[in-house]
Amino acid sequence: MAYSEKVIDHYNHPRNVGSLDKNDPNVGTGMVGAPECGDVMKLQVKVNPTTGVIEEAKFKTFGCGSAIASSSLATEWLRGKTVDEALAIKNTDIVNELSLPPVKIHCSVLAEDAIKAAIGDYKKKAAGN
Amino acid sequence: MPEESKRMAHLRDKLKDRLLANLDEVYINGTMESRLPNNLNISFAYVEGESLLMGINEIAVSSGSACTSATLEPSYVLKALGAGDDLAHSSIRFGLGRFNTEEQVDYVSDKVIDVVNKLRELSPLYEMFKEGIDLSKVQWTAH
Repeated sequence: MAYSEKVIDHYNHPRNVGSLDKNDPNVGTGMVGAPECGDVMKLQVKVNPTTGVIEEAKFKTFGCGSAIASSSLATEWLRGKTVDEALAIKNTDIVNELSLPPVKIHCSVLAEDAIKAAIGDYKKKAAGN
Repeated sequence: MPEESKRMAHLRDKLKDRLLANLDEVYINGTMESRLPNNLNISFAYVEGESLLMGINEIAVSSGSACTSATLEPSYVLKALGAGDDLAHSSIRFGLGRFNTEEQVDYVSDKVIDVVNKLRELSPLYEMFKEGIDLSKVQWTAH
């Protein structure tokens, strides 16, 4: 398996690993994938409710090096973006940045799903208040 | 020849014992009784096999993970041995040989323990397990 240098870097130095408080009204949590598929990503964002800017993002991933890199990269990109800018992130952006081979494209799709799930969860909580 | 089998089994058992002593949630795939003396197939729960291989890339082992094949199906052999689908993705096969030494077994076990611990810090499944969540009851949203 040929991993790009960026994938290896994210694997050895993953960014923003950890968890935010699920019960914080400004935190959105997305959990996608399934253990039977060998890929599970948990992505969390903490949004400033006044500005709509994502101030913090954290991830935890069960999966191959490409899956770990995709979700680590996602948290790097999310920080500082508004919620709407975050929703514009496409899996193809991740594929290009990490030079993912065809067999690992599904890792980038899962990362995009995780971003949308986390933001969707935040929006649902914000609407409920 | 028989001495070689005993030597292999000793090294293999040393590897197994060190891993079991230093990590929780480790499962041997298959029986230890009817097994080649130099073989060890182990699952490290909550850690995906290919990511483990990446962390020990100077050591030649193989993974039961089928992530790199055309399907996402785990190894049919491990499934036949009773491994759940998630554990089958977390398995590593160690094959010891004539030229392996005690020092190499020590090195490999230390390295594997270190990488498993690092990957469990990254693992949402291990986090849920530690929180007491029954993973078999979770509704997963696979795409």
